[in-house]
Amino acid sequence: MKTLYRLSTLLFWLAVGGFAAAPQWLPEPLSQTPPSRATGTQPRLTPAEMARHNREGDCWVSIDQQVYDLTLYTPTHPADPAVILAWCGKEASTAYHTKNAGRPHSPYADRLLPRYRLGPLQP
Amino acid sequence: MTLPATLRAPLLCLILPASAVLWAWPEGLPPWRGLAIITAWTGTGLLLASLLLMLRQPRLAEHLGGLSNSYRWHHLSGTLAYISLLLHPLALAADGFTEDPRTAWLALAPWALGWPENLGWLALLLLMGGLAGSFGPPLAYRPWRAVHFLLGAGVVLGLAHVWALLGNASGVLLALFVCLFSLGWRLLADDRGWGAAPYRVSSVRACARDSIEATLTPCSRALPARPGQFVLAAFGDGGHFHGSKEFHPFTLSEVGDNGQLRMAIKALGHCTRHLQALEPGVLVRLAGPFGEAAQTLPDGRPRLWIAGGIGITPFMALLRQETSGPPTDLLHVFRRAEEAPFLDELESLARQRPELNYLPRATGDGPAPLADMLAPLDSLEERSVYLCGPPGLVDLARRLLLARGVNALRIHHDSFDFRGS
Repeated sequence: MKTLYRLSTLLFWLAVGGFAAAPQWLPEPLSQTPPSRATGTQPRLTPAEMARHNREGDCWVSIDQQVYDLTLYTPTHPADPAVILAWCGKEASTAYHTKNAGRPHSPYADRLLPRYRLGPLQP
Repeated sequence: MTLPATLRAPLLCLILPASAVLWAWPEGLPPWRGLAIITAWTGTGLLLASLLLMLRQPRLAEHLGGLSNSYRWHHLSGTLAYISLLLHPLALAADGFTEDPRTAWLALAPWALGWPENLGWLALLLLMGGLAGSFGPPLAYRPWRAVHFLLGAGVVLGLAHVWALLGNASGVLLALFVCLFSLGWRLLADDRGWGAAPYRVSSVRACARDSIEATLTPCSRALPARPGQFVLAAFGDGGHFHGSKEFHPFTLSEVGDNGQLRMAIKALGHCTRHLQALEPGVLVRLAGPFGEAAQTLPDGRPRLWIAGGIGITPFMALLRQETSGPPTDLLHVFRRAEEAPFLDELESLARQRPELNYLPRATGDGPAPLADMLAPLDSLEERSVYLCGPPGLVDLARRLLLARGVNALRIHHDSFDFRGS
């Protein structure tokens, strides 16, 4: 067990070191900000349109005047997906920034969010 | 069909992580993210099993095949839990790596994470530090114990990490309950000795150089001890003696009819050296009894007993109680005759009892010549074998006996390696 502990600990820190070094050595993606998924055929991102996407399997939310399609992300959320599903079709800025518990999401979560951006909320 | 007691501890180490993983089974997730959830809950289940297996409750220990067996699985499940939990953040990072390397690093970098995720980091570092106490350079008992407490803190913080991320999910609350129950029981009932029986030292005599034999008389209830078993004893104060009040294992050298117990104590470390000054009147709290090895010996089969140094103690208790028994070869190795406990009494017993073949051997500072001592003994494969002594001697004896055709299931011994080092 002693060998198992030492070997696994060593391999763990080597892997962490590898993940830390990878951004320095591997090429960055072409764009730091993932492109909007908005397309020419997409409907206008109005509050009324957003409100139609209000269920599991079709979940849009708006956060800070941006509309996000969280349909694919919801199942991977660390906490119960129900906490997101409750906000489908709605303005969720406060919920995102406080997690309904007075604490913000992590920078890691902030980096994930743009992947699901559809575009700015329109009047 | 009854499940053998020795299989119950490994079964617990299988059922708890399997249940946890099934409860949290990831559906429809990317592979690395799914793996992260599986490793997290495998580790959590194994940690809970490890916590339950560290409890020093006699009936529970007996149900799990003895305290030695419980501790063997406590150490193994704890180590496997640690490895599984190491994989959890790495799998999360690998999931991010499918997007880009920077996202992968942000899944690990503490400054990019919120406090619930950093609780997980802290828990992992505490587990790493706590295990270093067992698997790193050897530590004295008290520093080791302080470092080992980090493991308990790591488990609590790990579950707090899960609770902060998932909220009041039923599985999380159940895991928290099992964790707090086990830690509370261990700290209050086991370490504080709430369930321990009070005894008083009624006499102390030297039984060899640097060895004493203490007679303990129950103050109230007597432990249901049997010869060959051991107890956890916390020596208190009395006369000029001041005990550490910490529980340490001691094998009984005699179990009296009136509840009196005797134990032999050799000066092997700081605590046992201090106990050489033990006086009558000292209050002792005893927990137990423990030790299954001597109880599982089949009746009637010729016996081979191998003892190293103070490891003669359980055999002494067995011989003192029985008036006759099956043919028994007792191999006793020690460094010097003046350091061998009970040497005179054993030689006297061997003269009185024809079925007892007592073979003492002083080794000096050299290795134990067990191969030479076993060579003239025949029909070893028919014997039930009971070993007691230092780990090196037990390992050597086991190897030699297996090579001589003895079935591994007939070789019995209690391990006192509660620290898992």
